[in-house]
Formats: sequence, structure tokens, C-alpha cells
Amino acid sequence: MTVLGEEQVYGDIALVDLLDRLLGTGVVLSGDIVISLAGIDLVQVRLHALITSVRKEMVGS
Amino acid sequence: MGEPARYLYAVCRGVDPAALDGVPALGGGTVELVDVLDLQAAVSTVDLDEFGEEAMRTNLEQLPWLERTARGHDLVVQSCAAAAPTAPMRLATICLDDESVRLRLEEWYDDLVAALDRVTGREEWSVKVFAHPRAAREAEGAEPAAVGGAAYLRRKKAATEERRSVEAAAASAAEEVDSVLRGTAVAARRLRPQDPRISGHEATMLLNGAYLVDSVRSADFAKQVAELVGLHPQVSVACDGPWPPYSFATLEDR
Repeated sequence: MTVLGEEQVYGDIALVDLLDRLLGTGVVLSGDIVISLAGIDLVQVRLHALITSVRKEMVGS
Repeated sequence: MGEPARYLYAVCRGVDPAALDGVPALGGGTVELVDVLDLQAAVSTVDLDEFGEEAMRTNLEQLPWLERTARGHDLVVQSCAAAAPTAPMRLATICLDDESVRLRLEEWYDDLVAALDRVTGREEWSVKVFAHPRAAREAEGAEPAAVGGAAYLRRKKAATEERRSVEAAAASAAEEVDSVLRGTAVAARRLRPQDPRISGHEATMLLNGAYLVDSVRSADFAKQVAELVGLHPQVSVACDGPWPPYSFATLEDR
């Protein structure tokens, strides 16, 4: 486990950290289409997408 | 090509359009600003064949699409946040045209202003605390392989107690880290701990904290994190940022 207390490497953000913020938070405006308000739990969507991909990688290796 | 629509990245106040020159937009075009009173919506044109509701149900499940879109969204939000107070929108907020963007901003004007006021001159930091997986295992591993009867049970019980106490110490360290950082931050939120299957961290995540910090106090905050790392060797701490204020530009009571 790396302690990143002092060096900040914004260019190399883990996707999971990004999705924590892009899907879990942020302003939700009711636009014409806002899929996050259409009854889909985006956290589940994201977990499903990621877990599926992780499993594929494991099967592939 | 399907119908065009507007992808809404963020709402800003006082961003210089030049700050967005050359920033790549989702959909392959450029980032544009739609003005509404003193606010600006950062938008770009996307295709509803890709960003329509039906298409997105499928696309959100495709990791390469999700990653490309998330990183593209973040790049625009970062560019906005570097230039002006910015309230980032959630991923994939789509309006049919600029008129619809304007209507939304007018409708939510007061809340957007409140959100922008809250994040002006501030930035978001992420601090995560992990239990050392080894500490718990070693405590358990104290259990000897081949002794019989009462001695075995006694040692097994002691090992279990040891593991519990290691876990309790780690949990209490995580609480302490959160509580100290809340003292420096102007606001804090605890995000859901990440699933180890997707984060790739073997260790249990005890804290996934987001802290809104005055930009002028960022150095103090980083120093405080470093001190906490020294004070709590029983856990690992990861700190990164600054992020645009994703976790704090939320609209109240909606």
C-alpha cells in the first residue's frame, strides 16, 4: 500500500476513484435525459460493469 | 448519425472561455459555454445514438466506454475548476438543446449559486484508510499447526481475540483520522468504501473520505495527513487531490 501523503499524481487517477465521484455525487439536474434519475442505481451499474470486466480479465489470464 | 444533444459537464461562474480552448470534448467537438445570467454551462454536442437513454443503458455497462466517458468528463470539469468556481454535473447529464440547458439553469439558479458559493476558493481532497491485511493475518497465524486438545482451543481463542483487537484498533484509527481532518476541512463526506474486487486493494477500506478544504489551507491539510500517517502505523493512509469539488457541489434537499 502506497502512502501518497506528499506526492499528488492527478494525471493517474484510478478509475474507481473517479467513478466514486462522477456517479456517486455531483449536481443532479433533471435534464431531458438524466439516466441517473431514470430508476437505475448507477452504483450498481458501475459495480456490475467493473466486476464483469475484472472477471473477464481473470478468466483471460 | 442520430440526433444531436448537449452533454452538460458543469456549471461555472465567471469562467474565461479561453480557459477551455483546445480541451477535448466528448463527441469529438469543442467545449462551449451557454450563458444564463451570471452562470455558464460547459457543454458539448454529442450524438443521441451514443448518449440517448437506451444507448446509455448499454454503454454504462461497457467498461471501455464508461472509462473513456468518465475521463473525458473529468478533463473538462478539471479545466473549468482550474479557471473558476465550478459545480460538476453527474456523469452523463444530457439536454436536448441549448434552450433546454438554459431552462434547467434558470430553474435551479438559486441552488446552483448556493453550491458555487460553497465551493468557491476550495478544493476537494480524498483520504482513504485501509487496515493492514497482514496484521490481521499474522494475529490469526499465531495459531500453531499441531497441538491437541485444550491447548489448541486456548491458543485459537487467543488468536481470535488478538485479531479482533487488531481490527478494533484499525477501525478506531480510521475514525480518528476522519475526525481530525474534519477539524481542518470546511465540509466532509464519507463515500461508500470501495469494493476490493474493483479497487484492486487487498486491504479492507475503513474510510473513503472526501474533504472540502480552503485552497489556502491545502498545505496544512497535507501536513496533517502526514502527521496522522505517523501517528497511526496500524493502518495505511492514501491521500490524493486536489479534485474538483465533486462531492460538495450538491444541491440541497432535492
